[in-house]
Amino acid sequence: MDLTDKEYVERCRDGHPEDFGLLVARYQKSVFAYLASRVENFPQAEEAAQESFVRAFLSLRKLRKPESFYSWLLGIASRVAKEQFRAELHRRRDSEAAETMMTSATGPAEDYPLEEAMAVLPENHRQVILLRYYEGLSCQEVATRLAMPLGTVTKTLSRAYVQLRHELEARDFRESGEQIVNQEEQP
Amino acid sequence: MNCADCRDNFIASVEGLLDHDQSLQCRAHLDICPQCRAEYEAMSRLQQCLIARGQAAAGVRIVEPVMRRVRAEQFKPERETLMSKLLKHRWGFGLGAAAGAAAILAVVLFSMPNAQAQALAVMTKGAQAVAKLTSIHLRGQLRTLPQDNFSLIMPDQDFVTIELWKQFEPDFKWRVEKPGRVAVMDGQSTLLFIKPDFGYKVPQATPSAFDTQWLHEMANLNKTLKTELTAIKARGWPVTLAQEQGADGKAKSVITVEAKSGLGADDYLHNKFFSTADTRRVYTFDNQSELLESVQIYLHAPAGDQLVFKLDEIDCNQPIDPSVFQLQLPASVSMGGAMPMLPDNEKYAAMTSEQAARALFDACAREDWTEAAKFFNPLTDTMKQYLGGLQVVSLGTHTTLSNGAEIVPYEITLKNGETKKWSVGFKRDPATRRWFVDGGI
Repeated sequence: MDLTDKEYVERCRDGHPEDFGLLVARYQKSVFAYLASRVENFPQAEEAAQESFVRAFLSLRKLRKPESFYSWLLGIASRVAKEQFRAELHRRRDSEAAETMMTSATGPAEDYPLEEAMAVLPENHRQVILLRYYEGLSCQEVATRLAMPLGTVTKTLSRAYVQLRHELEARDFRESGEQIVNQEEQP
Repeated sequence: MNCADCRDNFIASVEGLLDHDQSLQCRAHLDICPQCRAEYEAMSRLQQCLIARGQAAAGVRIVEPVMRRVRAEQFKPERETLMSKLLKHRWGFGLGAAAGAAAILAVVLFSMPNAQAQALAVMTKGAQAVAKLTSIHLRGQLRTLPQDNFSLIMPDQDFVTIELWKQFEPDFKWRVEKPGRVAVMDGQSTLLFIKPDFGYKVPQATPSAFDTQWLHEMANLNKTLKTELTAIKARGWPVTLAQEQGADGKAKSVITVEAKSGLGADDYLHNKFFSTADTRRVYTFDNQSELLESVQIYLHAPAGDQLVFKLDEIDCNQPIDPSVFQLQLPASVSMGGAMPMLPDNEKYAAMTSEQAARALFDACAREDWTEAAKFFNPLTDTMKQYLGGLQVVSLGTHTTLSNGAEIVPYEITLKNGETKKWSVGFKRDPATRRWFVDGGI
């Protein structure tokens, strides 16, 4: 049976650092997807994902709420992406590419914040989403993996969808205000 | 079906879990209810978005590199922390990485016998010598089949040439090629061509794809050597250093690393790929330039060690002809891509890999290409000619691999009388949940 994030974090702190690999396995794809929309290319996203996990490991003792590991990890990943963006700007400071970067954006691209929205889901809901979509398991395989009936998996997915949609709509509203309404009204 | 019933079935519907009648009832309700239809479409859009995110990250496997770094960090004494802080804002293949390797080495050196420390010093200097790569071209020989998987080791096969071109600046692009198989990432998308008529396009730029990762890792010389350094320390791999005179009369440092996969000999993946093989890796560095000149990899097998890979051309920072990153496919190529949702998709999504293998071979036996095509992405004319009219001798039970794929052993007699005994690899398409052939035919 898989442990919760909190249990893995506590085991890592209690002298089982190898268990951190299980947290990496759990979140590597969602962190990569999160970063892929914020950095320039996939190699940088992979490099940034590795860096994020290593920094998370090194700061694990500072994590006050181990149950919030995932949202805390995304915060680290976001900072890594911003540092990478600034480093890239610095590296290209004399080139035309830097001008393009400077004029096209003031920071890393903020793409569809799906992974951030997932951070507000209850952990068991997030687990089902991760296994189904990021690990590519079927609902039946998710049910087997989590030792739960297929019906529970589909109900959990259903609730997770609703929560994700509400969270994304709330974020859209917060970030774009009236703009989103105007866009939807366009033909 | 009313609104509540219909909405209760949304997830089962988008997941393809409804039976035919339920699906028809749900669709009939959606046809007449704009509110439910809007809800259903929003749900479907979110599902497609999740599928796309999952697909973009499908090839990501960073547990091992992260844990190697975690272990290395644990070995670092406190005084190294400042250096890691100074370096952590540097990226890519530049001085930061080289200095990082040097930092690890500095720690490793203190705790190793002198000969090992000298060997690691040579490797680190080699890493520093290629700290700033703008491009790289590797040309080597691998024991494998010309058309099969880029990473498959087949010790009983002859050597075939395998090459990688990789450009880091101004745009990131790459190409990997064997005589029967080419993969190209042109900065926009990633294309696989298996001669003579199979094509598959991933509509994104990818860091590596189609089982080329091991060669990309080797092309990242700095990182490869750094990874070896960490593994030598963390996993206790033996390492030795010898001084030799090269064919050019110059002094060379030859470093041998004994790498262990950690897999048992009875594991299906054992010794099939470099990441799952027990190998002896021999790195030769020129003493004057400090550059890595060649790599040989020997497979530890019950019958004795066997040379399975030799890399003897390593060109760094040379201009690469832009045409290398272009690939024109012949008109006869069948292209794979997003698999279509079938009217009776549930039937195929519910199959086990063994049932899929049976259905696939039975369809080929009766040359029912419409049916057989449901298990390929895509089914080519060459495959039809090869498999048409076959007879199934036996099918075995499946094995699940660590990447979620399943392999099913089979024995078939082809139309020309030839018997083939092998294992067909299946993967599940994330969108349709159908098994499709991923190799082994």
